[in-house]
Amino acid sequence: MALNVGTSLPELKRRVAQERINLYARASGDFNPIHLDPDFARKTPLGSTIAHGMLILAYLSEMLTGAFGRDWLGSGSLDIRFKAPARPGDTITAGGKITGIQPEDGSRIITLEVLCRNQQDEPVITGSAKVRVPA
Amino acid sequence: MDFAGLEPGDEFPPTAFQLDAETVAAYLEAVEGENHRRVAGETVPPLAVAARALAALSAGLELPPGAIHVGQVLGFRGTVKTGERLTSHARVARKIARGKLNMLAIDFEVRDERQTTVLTGETSFVLPPPAEES
Repeated sequence: MALNVGTSLPELKRRVAQERINLYARASGDFNPIHLDPDFARKTPLGSTIAHGMLILAYLSEMLTGAFGRDWLGSGSLDIRFKAPARPGDTITAGGKITGIQPEDGSRIITLEVLCRNQQDEPVITGSAKVRVPA
Repeated sequence: MDFAGLEPGDEFPPTAFQLDAETVAAYLEAVEGENHRRVAGETVPPLAVAARALAALSAGLELPPGAIHVGQVLGFRGTVKTGERLTSHARVARKIARGKLNMLAIDFEVRDERQTTVLTGETSFVLPPPAEES
């Protein structure tokens, strides 16, 4: 993939499923009932269970791992806002676009605008990312 | 520790944790981490490290029902191998209690056994206003 300002990264799509939310709770140690207990969640203003924000953020990181490989895992950074909850049944698309390329210490720092949106095209996560890649 | 009792600079007790192969496998299944499996071998996904650090933080932080995780900053400083023993250090970065707006930002840093920082972050919450007394 050519790294130029304006380049869009290959998107990644994931369907949110309650089974994966349950699995994520066990792997992350976050057992908040808003993610796991439909009866509890029904009585809250959210009305249903929602995915952990960090689960949806993991889709973004997975998309960036696909684009930048080990460079992402060893030098990446994220600055994001959670804009809306993701619910079981939603389809999330994670994407990114290069907004800057800066030479630094024999490498290049790639700056990106990143976004996760749902099937209604509503933003679920917005923000920016940076990664150091070889010059 | 609850919101009322927190002040910027307050530190949380350090929390030790490790991500064994079974936990990492469960994490990758949950997030459908095929790209990570393909490129990273025994390396733990940095978001899995962050999630564990946040869970440890939540265990020591009494947030009221209705608290919302609104923002996240993360910096990956190095890779973590499966089974490495890690320690999370966290402190209150900012607290805003203004009218109905209550916000809390917490800085955290995860270090490996050699005390090398492998992950930094800041997590932000918006909290509901305290219930009015009748």
